[in-house]
Amino acid sequence: MSSLLGLAPAPRSEAAEQVRAEVREFLAAELAGGTFTTHVDTWLSGVDPAFSRKLGERGWLGMTWPCRYGGHERSAMERYAVTEELLAAGAPVAAHWIADRQSGPNLLRYGTEEQRQSILPRIAAGECYFVIGMSEPDSGSDLASIRTRAVRNGSGDWVVNGAKVWTSNAHVSHYAITLVRTSPADPSNRHAGLSQLLVDLSLPGITVNPIRILDGGHHFNEVVFDDVVVPGDMLLGTEGDGWHQVTAELAFERSGPERFLSTYPLVAEFARRLGASPDPAGLATLGRLSARLLALRQLSLRIAAALDRGELPDIPAALVKDVGTTFEGDVIEEIRRVVEVTPSLSSPDPLARALAEAQLHAPGYTLRGGTNEILRGIVARGLGLR
Amino acid sequence: MSSDQDLVVETVRDILSAFPPFVLTGDRRWDDGLWAALAEAGLTGVGLPESSGGSGGELADAVAIVRTLAAGAAAVPVAEHLLVAGPAVVARDLDLPAPDEPMTVAVAPGVTAHASDDGDGPGRFTLSGTAEITWAGIARHAALLTSGPAGPVLALVTLAGLSVEPAVNLAGEPRGSVVLDGVAAAGALLTPAQASELRARFALARAVQLAAALEQVLAWTVQYAGERQQFGRPLGKFQAIQMELAEMAGEVTAVTALTDAAVQAVERGSADLVLACAAAKVRAGAAVEVVARLAHQVHGAIGFTQEHKLHHLTRRLWAWRDEAGSELTWAPVLAAGLLDDGPDGLWPALTRVV
Repeated sequence: MSSLLGLAPAPRSEAAEQVRAEVREFLAAELAGGTFTTHVDTWLSGVDPAFSRKLGERGWLGMTWPCRYGGHERSAMERYAVTEELLAAGAPVAAHWIADRQSGPNLLRYGTEEQRQSILPRIAAGECYFVIGMSEPDSGSDLASIRTRAVRNGSGDWVVNGAKVWTSNAHVSHYAITLVRTSPADPSNRHAGLSQLLVDLSLPGITVNPIRILDGGHHFNEVVFDDVVVPGDMLLGTEGDGWHQVTAELAFERSGPERFLSTYPLVAEFARRLGASPDPAGLATLGRLSARLLALRQLSLRIAAALDRGELPDIPAALVKDVGTTFEGDVIEEIRRVVEVTPSLSSPDPLARALAEAQLHAPGYTLRGGTNEILRGIVARGLGLR
Repeated sequence: MSSDQDLVVETVRDILSAFPPFVLTGDRRWDDGLWAALAEAGLTGVGLPESSGGSGGELADAVAIVRTLAAGAAAVPVAEHLLVAGPAVVARDLDLPAPDEPMTVAVAPGVTAHASDDGDGPGRFTLSGTAEITWAGIARHAALLTSGPAGPVLALVTLAGLSVEPAVNLAGEPRGSVVLDGVAAAGALLTPAQASELRARFALARAVQLAAALEQVLAWTVQYAGERQQFGRPLGKFQAIQMELAEMAGEVTAVTALTDAAVQAVERGSADLVLACAAAKVRAGAAVEVVARLAHQVHGAIGFTQEHKLHHLTRRLWAWRDEAGSELTWAPVLAAGLLDDGPDGLWPALTRVV
């Protein structure tokens, strides 16, 4: 076991508890002021640029980045506390979520000085949003099979052709960190010849087509690149090193509390329904769900502490995401076993609404960011089986 | 784990290597040789203060010993002795029996304790009723959580000489019924909170044992999957098997993380100690179904026999999850505690407990 998740227990962080209290106070005031209403899975569906800018003003975006890039040089433990408070409150965090979680760290790690200076401060201000340009219509779990191509033209710029899908909120975002093939596929080394480009989504030749999810919401898109000319200095990192860079990015993508808190607002509504004198079955269900959630928090905190130590815990992150997203879906079934409620997006009953939102988003939990089958394969590698 | 605990674990492993697990029977109900060796090394007094006759050391050291012995399917009452009965007796200023004499613990709602004197603090009580006691017939002493007219009483009773109606759990570990008919015992009145903490620490002791056994079962199963060949390759090369082992790893890792956190909550005397222990026991108990089922599935028919070592731990997993309170006992306790400040207090409580 120690080889797999030999992460030490997270030290208790006074600074994290301090900022947690500040976020809680802020959210209570925002809720009371009616600037947002609680929803399930808001890190996908809750786009609210004004709210994102408020978080930026408070210093709660780009928290761990150097101050010279608009960051705040705070710990991953503090960032963890901020993100889990926002998720538990069901706050509208989708606009900035990807940029703050993985694109910014990716730029910090691999970006040029100019790329960092021009973009990171805007992300930290809550003004600049990113999408993940990985999956394609014919390439889902098999990411190395992508076909979007980028070719250098005579002036050293990149000409990009292809398409990316499941690009959450591309229609309101500014950049896509796009994984492209920059040299022909090599059957003997499938991971070679890939690169990441920093693509401005306002460039000519880019078309963003909406793809609606089960509840009718428009979050997903197809982004089509038709002879898009991307300036040569927008290569991110090293040409041909895209696979390695994507792997590092995925460690950030998979490690956070959004991998077990997407349906927490449903749990909170369930607790309200139990009321002042809860029935034994309801209490037992809440107790079982709470024990699972408490264990997931401990795992996620250990990962945050590992990030603070400068580690990149990709295998533990895969494990936590597998266990956490399974929990997100199980919340639905556990609750409907003990409460008579008909899920409905239009119901005046907040529990019925939360249940409907959670149910219609449920297939996504165990797909996005790597399917649980892919994640278990990574865990199996960590166990030494492959 | 500190280097102190590494040393303790190494010592226990050295001793344990001479005492392999065996099938418990009426003729051989526990591993008295192992107990004697542990006592000889001073390990049955770890975590108990030297001033009371213990060996000193921290709770974390005692937890490390219990974990190592649980992973080795050791048939000794060390979890009850080191993690529950010993600390409870010391905390209530009762005289700690010699650490080489095994001491167990039981929640005994069917036993009433009447004070034999008017003392306020540690005093003498007369016990009447029937208690279900783990390691009855083996342990020399038992710390019993009984009820008295003025509230719960922790009674320290000497079991030697009392008749036991013997029984065993799924793993064959002795659990017996003891009739107390006017038995004199040392004891101390407990507040309701102290009584809750005692129950919770018993649950945590089982969670610690479960966590260690779950980890070991995973390790055995990974090893077996790497060695057993079918269709010309190791089982572990099949994706279907890899998915099962990864699922086991997820469960095991979650249990370990929460159990470690609950131990830390006890160490720092957290006000939420009971909830932390309850959560650990619920999570550990819930993992047993998945891990034991998949471990047996991967091991195939050999794991379903006493020829193979797997049953030493899977039978203990199935037994321990229902002892010291099952999920059915502790899940409502956890939920009720988390809702203490009303439903809107749920999230603050979840971020505070561990």
